[in-house]
Amino acid sequence: MSNLNELSITEAAAKLKAGEITAVDLARACLAEIEKKNKDLNIFLEVFDDVIAQAGAADARRKAESSEGKESHPLLGIPLAIKDNILIEGRKVSAASKMLENYTATYDATVIKKLKEAGAVFLGRTNMDEFAMGGSTENSAFGPTKNPLDPSRVPGGSSGGSAAAVAAHMALGSLGTDTGGSIREPAAFCGLVGFKPTYGKVSRSGLIAMGSSLDQAGPLAHTVADAELLFNTIKGKDALDSTSLDQSQWQGRTLPLQKRVGVPRHLLKEGVESDVLQKFEESLKQLQAKGYELVDIELPSAPLALSVYYVIMPAEVSSNLARFDGVRYGLSVKGENLFDDYAKSRAAGFGPEVRRRIMLGTYVLSAGYYDAYYGKALAARDKLTEEFKKVLAEVDAIAVPTTPCPAIKIGEKSDPLSMYLLDIFTVTANITGNPAISVPMGMVEREGVQLPVGIQLTAAHGAEDILFTIGKEVEA
Amino acid sequence: MISKEEVQNLATLARLELAPAEVESLQKDISNILEYVGQVSAVSIDGAEPKAPMLRNVLRDDAAREAGDTMAGKEARVKEAFPKREGEYNVVRKIIQKDE
Repeated sequence: MSNLNELSITEAAAKLKAGEITAVDLARACLAEIEKKNKDLNIFLEVFDDVIAQAGAADARRKAESSEGKESHPLLGIPLAIKDNILIEGRKVSAASKMLENYTATYDATVIKKLKEAGAVFLGRTNMDEFAMGGSTENSAFGPTKNPLDPSRVPGGSSGGSAAAVAAHMALGSLGTDTGGSIREPAAFCGLVGFKPTYGKVSRSGLIAMGSSLDQAGPLAHTVADAELLFNTIKGKDALDSTSLDQSQWQGRTLPLQKRVGVPRHLLKEGVESDVLQKFEESLKQLQAKGYELVDIELPSAPLALSVYYVIMPAEVSSNLARFDGVRYGLSVKGENLFDDYAKSRAAGFGPEVRRRIMLGTYVLSAGYYDAYYGKALAARDKLTEEFKKVLAEVDAIAVPTTPCPAIKIGEKSDPLSMYLLDIFTVTANITGNPAISVPMGMVEREGVQLPVGIQLTAAHGAEDILFTIGKEVEA
Repeated sequence: MISKEEVQNLATLARLELAPAEVESLQKDISNILEYVGQVSAVSIDGAEPKAPMLRNVLRDDAAREAGDTMAGKEARVKEAFPKREGEYNVVRKIIQKDE
């Protein structure tokens, strides 16, 4: 038998249910792995000191439920890692920023509340790009996280710690947040399944906001079934997030499948590394062999997606991060006058990438530029959303590689724009609000090391079940 | 390329203190990024009135929050987070001043 920390959530849940193992056994196995590797890989910013107690409580609850003849939730006693921008009451939550280094969460995020109700065990909070801004976890104020598959490389980002924790078998699954690919890109770089739900499917209450019209929380896991289980536990309309919706509020198609997958070949002509493209073609063939029809589709506005994203996102960032003023919470630096208090607190608290995006957002929203940038980006966003709607009425899902390349080297991309290009295929689903999943599609070799790459599937709004169904075919 | 003055003005609007070296690097970075994202200005929005894009207002009922509400009973933790506190109060700088 493999080590307990190497089990999938589904496997562990079956063993817990059968009484073969306890939640304490699972927690111990994960903690031992963390102890062994975290110092080198810098994955967890904090490992909670009450993990065994949480697991013990889960075991006690299982016993009580079983004596009452009640079925326990499959996540009861499952050890999970949580990204450091998701609030757990009474615990530190820093968004990997000096600004919130000593901040303690005042309440539970709705996703945490739901996981607590299910009985999941929280191992600790994972490293990330500061305020979720980045694609490599190099922008953390607490040092980069290393990819467990090749420590000279990044795990992706911004949910890099959450991805690396699962890939290194320190946790069975994890939660991340995805504003422009921050779950799917690290999932691809670490050989995992990463899932971004339809905008509005999962409550954003208690996430440290980055781009409020783009952010969604979602799972990272070893298998599609695990990701589906985590998603089904955290989803749902929430009175604390007025952008959350019920399933009934989507008119989108759902199962049964038409078994048609759209491929926008016009987007793949350049920029994707050739062996990544080859793996992509192989997984398409695999789908074809399972009776899927591949359809050439056109998304005329898709080449604009990255530009649209890098206008809308910084605009929302500059507004959302205005709350960090050194007055109500977080880092506070005293200056000569009130303006100075603000400017000094924000300069000391925010890292370079966060400052860059705040400045960019301030620019695109300022009088004289608003129409040329933000106004146009909103118009393009509508156009793109319409194009996706139209295409997704004809096919079940749209397939592209999740990233143009496998995990990059730490320090490889020092120019911000070249880093942004990693998001070229992932930002679209955030702009349009569609659900999207990244599933491993094989390995490519770089410098003698086998590195995973992922295929991304995007479905109609509210049609998560389509992604899980096709995702399982890809991973099989 | 955007000017140093423009960068400085943006920093003022954004309430950020910048070191001189950062003004220069931001000049370069912001200009490069703007050149790339400038593609969006080619999008045609002729004809159609700017429509409200699939958005609608969602209002909650005007009702008191119940005991089980997420934020209920969390005052103590909110106060603990204040950078400078005096008893029940968050201490802030005097903002309203007499014009000289």
